[in-house]
Amino acid sequence: MPDMTSLAHPQQRAFNPYTENGGTILAIAGADFSVIAGDTRQSEGYSIQTRYAPKVFRLTDRAVLAVNGFAADGNMFVKKVKQRLEWYRHAHAKDMPLRAIARLIQTMLYARRFFPYYVYNILGGIEEDGTGAVYSFDPVGSYEREACRAAGAAQSLVQPFLDNQIYFKNQVPAPGTSHPAHLPLPTVLSIVIDSFTSATERHIEVGDGLEIYIVLAKGRTLHGTESIGGMQELTTTDDGERVFVVRRDLKKD
Amino acid sequence: MSSPGFNFSNAVRNNFLQEKGIPLPKATSTGTTIVGCLFKDGIILGADTRATEGEIIADKNCEKIHYITESIRCCGAGTAADTEFTTASISSNMELHALSTGRAPRVVTAMTMLKQYLFQYQGHVGAALVLGGVDSTGPHLFTIHPHGSTDKLPYVTMGSGSLAAMAVFESSWKPNMERGEALALVSAAISAGIFNDLGSGSNVDACVITATQTEMLRNFVKPNERVEKERRYTFRRGTTAWKTENIRSLIVSEDITPVSAGGDAMDIS
Amino acid sequence: MFLTRSEYDRGVNTFSPEGRLFQVEYAIEAIKLGSTTVGIRTPEGVVLAVEKRVQSPLLESSSIEKIMEIDTHLGCAMSGLTADARTMIDHARVTAQNHAFTYDEKIKVESVTQAVCDLALRFGESVHDEEAMMSRPFGVALLIAGVDELGPQLYHTDPSGTFMRYDAKAIGSGSEAAQSELQDKWHKQMTLLEAQKLTLRVLKQVMEEKLDHHNVQLAQACHTAERL
Repeated sequence: MPDMTSLAHPQQRAFNPYTENGGTILAIAGADFSVIAGDTRQSEGYSIQTRYAPKVFRLTDRAVLAVNGFAADGNMFVKKVKQRLEWYRHAHAKDMPLRAIARLIQTMLYARRFFPYYVYNILGGIEEDGTGAVYSFDPVGSYEREACRAAGAAQSLVQPFLDNQIYFKNQVPAPGTSHPAHLPLPTVLSIVIDSFTSATERHIEVGDGLEIYIVLAKGRTLHGTESIGGMQELTTTDDGERVFVVRRDLKKD
Repeated sequence: MSSPGFNFSNAVRNNFLQEKGIPLPKATSTGTTIVGCLFKDGIILGADTRATEGEIIADKNCEKIHYITESIRCCGAGTAADTEFTTASISSNMELHALSTGRAPRVVTAMTMLKQYLFQYQGHVGAALVLGGVDSTGPHLFTIHPHGSTDKLPYVTMGSGSLAAMAVFESSWKPNMERGEALALVSAAISAGIFNDLGSGSNVDACVITATQTEMLRNFVKPNERVEKERRYTFRRGTTAWKTENIRSLIVSEDITPVSAGGDAMDIS
Repeated sequence: MFLTRSEYDRGVNTFSPEGRLFQVEYAIEAIKLGSTTVGIRTPEGVVLAVEKRVQSPLLESSSIEKIMEIDTHLGCAMSGLTADARTMIDHARVTAQNHAFTYDEKIKVESVTQAVCDLALRFGESVHDEEAMMSRPFGVALLIAGVDELGPQLYHTDPSGTFMRYDAKAIGSGSEAAQSELQDKWHKQMTLLEAQKLTLRVLKQVMEEKLDHHNVQLAQACHTAERL
């Protein structure tokens, strides 16, 4: 016999449409290049859903977007951004400039202010003036141009490291010298790789694979970085900005 | 405090604080894959070596196979402090038991002591254990759950990686395996946990217990060595900013005046 | 064309057997009744000039507004049914603001022209469940001037929704004479000052009244900002 008194009371049900799929992304801007990276593990709870789910996407020859948080929202968001870029190309007969993409992403995120895309975005690339740039976003569209940013599961591990190594926080320069405003590409790549191997050591949701995108300003060469293993060029046009990807293994435990 | 056991006097206060949104400190948990397996000559226990605090790896090479007696060992999963304290306490009691009976204590004895202890605390002592050993009645393998229930089986797994490890056992375990074959199976089961369960990781520990000897194979397999960093992160002397400098001498100098030898010598006979 | 006039000249959504939309053609005719408007593009910027017909000495000439700002980098001059231009310029302004809001950049001259021309074609009978459309084509032509990343540009739009880019263009009642004068006098390396003088000279030639500061309006879009 069912308990009729319990049925008389109002019942509350809850459905949570979001999940957190782990992983970490980061981006660093150089003087005339930008590096955008992310690990490739996708997890839910203690389970690995896949060891290869890209979180970093080439949008144009001068813009790369990294998306982290709820993977389903992230993938859908990237798809919609790409669609808007295509429409823009048709309407205005040019590729959307980086700062316009940044603003577009804000508009798209804020449009969902009360049912947000559960993702942290980091946009990297080359500005119209040829400088390397990184834009970071919160899930509802607050954004800012920065020199470097980490987001995702291991943000709390990686960002302080970046603050110290990129912004030279808590480091007094040697007498008579000053810290450089921008680091050279080989140094930046090393810092990115070390960030991810370290995050993999101490965070359970980071690992499996690493994808590093490099965007070079018009006319700039890789000088000295071509030798890095697993590098592949993704550029679609001649005489413009160039995009490269480096794929590395990370520990799988 | 005169009465033995846990002190619950702060429980009401802690519940109140938790309701106010102040979380309790997080205990180190051994997310863990632990296994045990019967083979021809005895028991093999296995464990990974990762300890976690939430999603952060607290210890990359901890020991989860605890000593109970020379021929009885116990793997622990769950709250690290509970598994360590519980096994150490039962280990002491087993030693006392051995001393007072004058016999080598049995695996069932350890199992009974553990389940009674855990039952007493109604699951608040968060220890999930795999107990194995060889005694005068032969090899025995048990699992003990945090509430005190036990199972006796030829192959067992526990912890967050238990499903991954059990999948390996279910596919390949057979009775009367040789030592090498059984050790490889335990290693494969732990590896399944290390690579497929985020709560488990790093190395494989194993312990082979036979009627004649116990072999603790610490870091039996190390499939996750740390990779070398691309850069060196040393800092130039003088990197850290300072506001004031204060140098103190820690050398204490004192003058010793020997007292004249005149009094009677101490009687040390 | 008036010889073949028939019942086909009534509906805005019916082609004549010869493949013509008479109402659109009549709308284009309406522009030829409008006051003369001239636009000249130079490497430094674009100059727009319009004739204001001051029909009465009691008319306050400053209330005639035939050159309007679309955005800080975009200007627009009109000829024809100027009341229709308000709708178009409103649309152009909204489009330009929306673009700046969404993309944090100035809209291109061609893009805003395209947007206006898209609007120009939304005449016809409204379909059920669809937003009510306009009953007739616009009776106005625009000269849209502006500066963007491609430099100074001048566009001409007409009621058929067609737009074309010009180095110099005249529309309105005196457009034929004005256009041939522009063809004669325009050259590639014109300065803004030369362009200003040329617009005034062209207007002076085609206007019936004597040209003074009451009956012309001048504007230019150049690299720094638009000045009216």
